[in-house]
Amino acid sequence: MSAPVSTRPGRAGRLAAVLPHVVIGAILLIEFFPLYMMLQVAFKDNAAFIDNPWLPAPLADWRWENWWFALNLIGPYVANTVFVAVTGTVCSVALAVLGAYFFARYRLPGSGVLWSLFMVLMLLPGIANLVPLFTLLKELSLLNTLWALIAVGVAGGQVFNLFVLRNFIEDLPKDLFEAAEMDGAGHLQQIRHIVVPMSRSILGTLAIMAFLGKWNEFLLPLVILRDRELFTLGVGLIYLDGEYVKQWGQIMAAYCFAALPLIILFLFTMRLFVKGLSQGAIKG
Amino acid sequence: MARVVLENLVKTFPAAGNSAAFTAVKGINLTVEEGEFMVLVGPSGCGKSTTLRMIAGLEEVSSGSIRIGDQVVNGVLPKDRDIAMVFQNYALYPHMSVYENLAFGLKLRRLPKSEIAARVQAAADLLGLADLLERKPKALSGGQRQRVAVGRAIVRRPKVFLFDEPLSNLDAKMRVQMRTEIARLHARLGATMIYVTHDQVEAMTMGDRICVMKEGQILQVAEPLELYQRPANLFVAGFIGSPPMNFLRGAVVRSDNRRDFVADGGVGALRLALPARLAEPARALEGRAAVLGVRPEQVQLVAEGAPGGHPCTVELAEPMGAETFLHLRSAAGVFIARVEAGVTHRQGSRVCAAFELERAHLFDAASEIRLT
Ligand SMILES: Nc1ncnc2c1ncn2[C@@H]1O[C@H](COP(=O)(O)OP(=O)(O)OP(=O)(O)O)[C@@H](O)[C@H]1O
Ligand SMILES: [Mg+2]
Repeated sequence: MSAPVSTRPGRAGRLAAVLPHVVIGAILLIEFFPLYMMLQVAFKDNAAFIDNPWLPAPLADWRWENWWFALNLIGPYVANTVFVAVTGTVCSVALAVLGAYFFARYRLPGSGVLWSLFMVLMLLPGIANLVPLFTLLKELSLLNTLWALIAVGVAGGQVFNLFVLRNFIEDLPKDLFEAAEMDGAGHLQQIRHIVVPMSRSILGTLAIMAFLGKWNEFLLPLVILRDRELFTLGVGLIYLDGEYVKQWGQIMAAYCFAALPLIILFLFTMRLFVKGLSQGAIKG
Repeated sequence: MARVVLENLVKTFPAAGNSAAFTAVKGINLTVEEGEFMVLVGPSGCGKSTTLRMIAGLEEVSSGSIRIGDQVVNGVLPKDRDIAMVFQNYALYPHMSVYENLAFGLKLRRLPKSEIAARVQAAADLLGLADLLERKPKALSGGQRQRVAVGRAIVRRPKVFLFDEPLSNLDAKMRVQMRTEIARLHARLGATMIYVTHDQVEAMTMGDRICVMKEGQILQVAEPLELYQRPANLFVAGFIGSPPMNFLRGAVVRSDNRRDFVADGGVGALRLALPARLAEPARALEGRAAVLGVRPEQVQLVAEGAPGGHPCTVELAEPMGAETFLHLRSAAGVFIARVEAGVTHRQGSRVCAAFELERAHLFDAASEIRLT
């Protein structure tokens, strides 16, 4: 995107054109500085770090072994997180589509009340639920399992997903569903052949958001998970700090690995993501 | 192919929010014969679509029954009724190609692939879609989309076809073309078709029979010419025909041994001696308000002073090419005459009009029913 080009080459016009770039540049700088630090420290040992914290080490002194160490260290965490995030996202979006389809297309007695209840859930701060949730999971013998993370994530994410998807599905032309009904499609087939293909970008957006949420989740795994081999990244990473001889370079390398899957995901889905967001915004 | 029978069909939309319950279809009875092309016509909001959607199964029946063939289908799901519907705005699946649109219903019915391909190809050939099969609906013109929508119905080979104003989104020329195409399709498939429109020209040209509806009721079911020549009431008389029938309000008055129609309009108002065909039934109207219905082609221009001649002023002349519609003002009100295009009539010029009463109709103004 380029800044709007002013047709009048006046000084004020030029300033107006430059200013957004300056602001954006400043924001980027602030955003990228920690990333820069992470990356350059990841190639140093502690001595080099203390000696020269701000600038990258000379190439010859780069400690590649940090990365190998980090990979071994957090590899299992990454695997756990991928498992939780992928399973949770798939279940979450699939269930949301079913629910939203129901709410969007049918008015049964009680569905209005049900909907309101759902929306009230959105107003509750999740953290307020933590203690009851813990008790519940304990009763269900789900403490210290990855399934607990998945189940809680799927249940918790539904409210927002339903809210977005219901409106989206309601905006799809009713005729399409009726035509499909005449063509012989039952509910599941209408979902599969009409809803899903037509809301692909919004589903993609919701999936990415669900995935991000799972990936960055911290509090719940911290409370629920006890065994180190079950740790997800959120908890795993903070335990890196302190329990081992603190090698900053290794920790930073681990952080880089933790971010890598997200970066890859984003590179492939960014267009979809933006499209979905703007679609949601323009529809009204 | 199958007969469709509606018996005492009622549709009441329940109250919702601050709108009260509304009865859109008020107990209609209609039999559509096997292989017949039945047109439902009427003004906007008269319940045509609602009726059609009940037949399709998209709208629940409040009371009464619908039979397709020998089966009462009130509780049968749309997909099990063996009917196909063409929607006003086509309702093509935007993410599927033309081929997939046509094949969708067949795939869901688990027809073998080769059979699906054959049927789609046949329909595409019939409708001139063969070159467009790979396109998405968004890359089609309105007329082409309409053909795809029709094709989607054809491939299913249903017992009954339902059309809900399928041509109303097309431009005038395309509409005429599609009209003949659908008529040809009907001749070729011989299937029962129910066609909803609010365009009376479409109704007249396409229907084997026409069912005129108003405010949720059926006013008349008849063949097009019958409907035109013998409308059951004022509404049908005014709705069918373009330009519409002229209505002169007045009363039937007895004078000597004959009966006259005296139009409202005070001194010098039109007074017409009713011919024998009208005079006899007019007896019932004596002393009551009546409406005389005269089609525009039954109004002739005559020389001034000719018997039955009635002086008028030309308010507006609409040359149509082969003929001209003259809007004439007289003491009896404004009426339209359909005259030959040869002579040009200037606005404001004075002419003399005579009514050909042999084919005119008398209506009771109170009940609006035709008496003759
Ligand atoms: N879902 C609904 N809820 C309430 N009222 C409805 C509903 N659908 C239709 N109606 C009402 O029923 C009446 C008949 O509607 P219908 O769609 O059958 O009219 P129509 O004859 O097809 O008119 P048009 O030529 O404009 O399509 C209208 O007054 C309409 O407002
Ligand atoms: Mg309609």
